Amino acid sequence: MKEKLMSLSQAADLIQDGMLLALGGNAMHRNPTLFALELARRPLKGLKVCGAAPGIATDYLMAQVDTAYFGFFGLENEAGLAPQMRKYMEGDGPARAIEGS
Amino acid sequence: MWGSDLVAKNPDFYHIYKNPWGDDEVVCVRALVPDYAILHVQEADIYGNARILGPSYQDALMARAAKKVILTTERIVGTYRMQEEPKLTAIPHFLVEAVVELPGGAKPGICYPEYLTVDWADHKAYQKAVKADEVKQFADKMLEGRA
Repeated sequence: MKEKLMSLSQAADLIQDGMLLALGGNAMHRNPTLFALELARRPLKGLKVCGAAPGIATDYLMAQVDTAYFGFFGLENEAGLAPQMRKYMEGDGPARAIEGS
Repeated sequence: MWGSDLVAKNPDFYHIYKNPWGDDEVVCVRALVPDYAILHVQEADIYGNARILGPSYQDALMARAAKKVILTTERIVGTYRMQEEPKLTAIPHFLVEAVVELPGGAKPGICYPEYLTVDWADHKAYQKAVKADEVKQFADKMLEGRA
């Protein structure tokens, strides 16, 4: 087995423009939020995201996403709707929704 | 999928084929192959063997669908822990490319049993940042002291 420990920024360097990402967890639960925020402050573009129910970490990336594949995209309970998903997807927003539930 | 408008609306994602074993038709859905599955877990060793405590949602499936996995973990544990209870390993090391020790890596969300409530002040700050086009500044603030 190979050692794979690295820093947050080293791991974030693996992500390139245009990649399809699947972020784990659900709604506000056990999402890789800090990793997503590290990506959100980088000049990445053309990302694609997918998941049965993407949550808060995926929402953090929506300014950099052109396509989202999902069944349900939201934060649930008091956290409500996913704000960046709405901002970039509703109406003629730049992010395309491919809903497959 | 029959009866849904989704099939006609997304022809690059759904396709109707004749059933090779019968006279009816079947809807096929394109398989997604993520470049990376990015997962936050409670326990991982330095090789990328990981345990998920509580609900695992689709994380194990995503790890297997993706080309490679990036893990962030609440803590690094000894490999002996995986060897003691091998069936509790949700993500095996050979799927994993990177392991980042990142306690609090699911905040301001929840990570059972480490932190059990949403940090509402931080989440409200995010909602405000979205409206003000200041998500990058929000990210900088949340990541202060971590790199």
